[in-house]
Amino acid sequence: MAIFPSPEWADEYVKKLNSNESYKDSGKTWEDTLTFVIEPDEKYNKTWYLYLDLAHGECRDYKYSDKEDGVPKATFIYKGKYSNWVKLINKEIDPIQGIMTGKFKLEGQMMKIMRYTKAAKDMVNTASMVDTQFEA
Amino acid sequence: MWFFRSPDVIFGADSLSYLNNIDAKRIVIVSDKNIQHAGLIEKVIKNLPDNVEVHTIDDIPVEPDFDDITQHMDGIRSFGPDYFIGVGGGSCMDSAKILFALYERPDISVYDITPIVKLGLRKKSHLIEIPTTSGTGSECSWAAVVSGKNEKRKNELASPEILADYAILDPEMVLSLPLNQTISTAVDAMTHAIESYVSSWSNPYSEALAEKGLFMVSHSIMDVLKKPGSLELRNNVHIGASMAGLSFSNSQIGLAHALGHSLGAVFKMAHGTAVGIFLPHVVSYNSLEVDGKYSILNNLFPEDIKGKNLHDTLIKMFKVINQPLKISDLNITRKSFDDNLNTLIELAEDSTGITMNPVEAGREEIKELFVKSFGD
Ligand SMILES: [Fe+2]
Repeated sequence: MAIFPSPEWADEYVKKLNSNESYKDSGKTWEDTLTFVIEPDEKYNKTWYLYLDLAHGECRDYKYSDKEDGVPKATFIYKGKYSNWVKLINKEIDPIQGIMTGKFKLEGQMMKIMRYTKAAKDMVNTASMVDTQFEA
Repeated sequence: MWFFRSPDVIFGADSLSYLNNIDAKRIVIVSDKNIQHAGLIEKVIKNLPDNVEVHTIDDIPVEPDFDDITQHMDGIRSFGPDYFIGVGGGSCMDSAKILFALYERPDISVYDITPIVKLGLRKKSHLIEIPTTSGTGSECSWAAVVSGKNEKRKNELASPEILADYAILDPEMVLSLPLNQTISTAVDAMTHAIESYVSSWSNPYSEALAEKGLFMVSHSIMDVLKKPGSLELRNNVHIGASMAGLSFSNSQIGLAHALGHSLGAVFKMAHGTAVGIFLPHVVSYNSLEVDGKYSILNNLFPEDIKGKNLHDTLIKMFKVINQPLKISDLNITRKSFDDNLNTLIELAEDSTGITMNPVEAGREEIKELFVKSFGD
């Protein structure tokens, strides 16, 4: 059981992502860096960054920090409040609908990410596979 | 939280005359040569208010790429329209959406037309869509499909802001639609209704429109083929197809569209024919997960065509209306299919239809569906 967000959670997430066959397939032509940003709200009072270096269906490197400059600058940033991340991990929010309803923000080249909606969905599905404990 | 979005829909006989009420001075019509020759652009112009200036684009190809569309931007900018009217099938209506967006925002690229970017359109102009086929649903959708330059892959652009302000569904505009196009676009419409109904984004609004849309198309299409000149029957299919369009636009399309887009990109054919080939197979593939929903849909078909499940009904219906059932029916040889199988799979994997299908499909499943759909 890993607390979200935490270094243990990140380790577990990347392990699961790298053994996810579906992601290996859907992400095989995708090469980019992406940072998940967990923003504070009434249930969580810090900001947390998880940087992922993705290449061909694999995460070849990752870094986490509670400071923005603690991780490298990524080509894509996907950020939202802690409670919305909880909903995302629990599959109550779809990652793209999350953006369209303003619960998440995506920074980066939009059209490119729209080509990889399946990979994005697999990444979120992977987060749901981590045995997660939420802080509050 | 989710949304329901729709243009103002003007429907039924004589609905083109609504155009006389619009507050427009300079109108760009976006259409193609066939529509021009069929006299349908003239029909639209006749219904416009007096003293409007019209700039007509009538060379949108069947499968436009970005250049085919954007080459018109200079002309449009110097004309300075306050309305765009797309007249035609999916390509013309989609092109009108893109030209409208690029005219409003000269600073953006077509690639910025995604649901996750706020565009801020409608500062200078508005958009009207008038379909001349009954099926694409483009008049009610906020998507636009465009080919890349020298690319097989189709780009699926989408933004709630490129949804038309008005959709005008005048059955006169489809009265002379050739039978083969009547069939393929009706199949497309039924596919929209069925895929939207089970998509992971479906919701009460999209479901209601899918049910009624499917009912109207399936109850009138066979009679339309017998009496293509019936305004009433054409009107039923026209409205039903538009409802199905509104349904998928507020939900999503699925796997049959992902596979169909891919097949259509590799072997040229009508979009509806391509998605229809896969629909029964996709229904079988999904049915373990969404069987309850499929049986609700199955009950919406006319009694004399209804089979024991949705898959059987579709096969029966497609046989009656002459929709091909396998890829091998389309003059595609086994060899050419096998040679292209990898490309087909890759293009399908890239398509957004995969993501919101109720059952996940990876490379192996996609391959199996293609092979099954080829037939003998
Ligand atoms: Fe379609």
